[in-house]
Amino acid sequence: MADGKNDFKISFRKITLKALKATIKAVLFHGLYLVLWMFLVPISGIVPGFQQAVETFVMIMTILIFLGELTSGTIFQHFFNAAKVLFTICYLFFSLEGGILGISYQNVNLVVDLRLFLAIVVLLSLVEFAKSILQAINYLSEKAEYLPI
Amino acid sequence: MNIPIRMIGLATTFVWIFLVVFLVSAVYSVRDSQFDLGKPQVSVTMENKLLVSLPINIVNNGYYDIGAFNLTTEILDADGFMIRRDSTFLRIISRGGKVTALHDVTLNFDDLLDSSEDYLFNDTDLTVAAFAGMRIAEFIPVQVSTNFSLPWGGPLYNFTLGEPERAGFNLTHFRVTVPMSFENHAFFDVIGNIQVQMYSSSDLLVGDNRTSIEAPQHSMYNGRVEFHVPITELTSRGRFNVYFQTSFFECGPLVIHYG
Repeated sequence: MADGKNDFKISFRKITLKALKATIKAVLFHGLYLVLWMFLVPISGIVPGFQQAVETFVMIMTILIFLGELTSGTIFQHFFNAAKVLFTICYLFFSLEGGILGISYQNVNLVVDLRLFLAIVVLLSLVEFAKSILQAINYLSEKAEYLPI
Repeated sequence: MNIPIRMIGLATTFVWIFLVVFLVSAVYSVRDSQFDLGKPQVSVTMENKLLVSLPINIVNNGYYDIGAFNLTTEILDADGFMIRRDSTFLRIISRGGKVTALHDVTLNFDDLLDSSEDYLFNDTDLTVAAFAGMRIAEFIPVQVSTNFSLPWGGPLYNFTLGEPERAGFNLTHFRVTVPMSFENHAFFDVIGNIQVQMYSSSDLLVGDNRTSIEAPQHSMYNGRVEFHVPITELTSRGRFNVYFQTSFFECGPLVIHYG
């Protein structure tokens, strides 16, 4: 009975610590975004809808970071990490309109070719995706049960 | 396996930071740079072509070089067909550097008249399409494009030959006088010759004369041309063939019927 109570206490403490850690990480990420945003303000003046796009991206990333941290020590952590990377690729691809960004103001059209930049970001994200897969494989191999020969 | 995974994580983090810092600093570079277009200067070349020079001033106060700066202008007629295309290319504008260049647009009347001779006799609007491209930090290609209309004034606007009037010259010939007028709406002076050939109703050349003209820009020209026509060949109906020869253009015949 006492052991069961202790187990519950330990589990509760573990979950609370994980939740706290996840919250701190999410808050830190959001804080980093707020600091970076100060430098990105000039872009929002040039590109309409830039702030909204970045805010949506940061919000979803914050949720995924929170969930990833909350499920740390389980296989789901790696799922969320992989999801985070795939979301980054898809979101950047669609929000940057495939790398050719066009803005029109009155009679002036501005076209920014970010394809090379997008290619680097996608490659980088794919490396991170590979890292998540490796982490998942590593996790599973560590958890593998050894059977007697 | 943990160490390689951590190393991959560390490397990707560094590259991410580098990418974000690079992108933000590139945007700041553009914001700090100045691109100015000066007042266009119009002149005439040795080949009697109109030369419009547009001064470009670029001050690169950014953190990176600006590469492959290119300014292209296209002059299009009212139907959207291209009459003229000119480009100015600057290979590199170094960080902290200042560059002044001239973008020359040469307008050859032959190009314009190939499109339509109406440009001599009517006012219209030409379209100028301008494209400016560059590589920010020699990495991110950017292009700005715009178009605007350029009012075109016909140098021989409302060209008319009045009704011919005859007077006796000698026993065999009449002196035929034809009043001639037009308005020079162009932004250059029209100096040259007009040759007028007079044909009778039986398509016989009965008179041929030329007169010199000088019409400053935005002025009205009134003149006359005279022929000595054989009395037996003068008819009440016929036509004039008019040829224009100026320093900027040559064209003709413009057929005008009389009678």
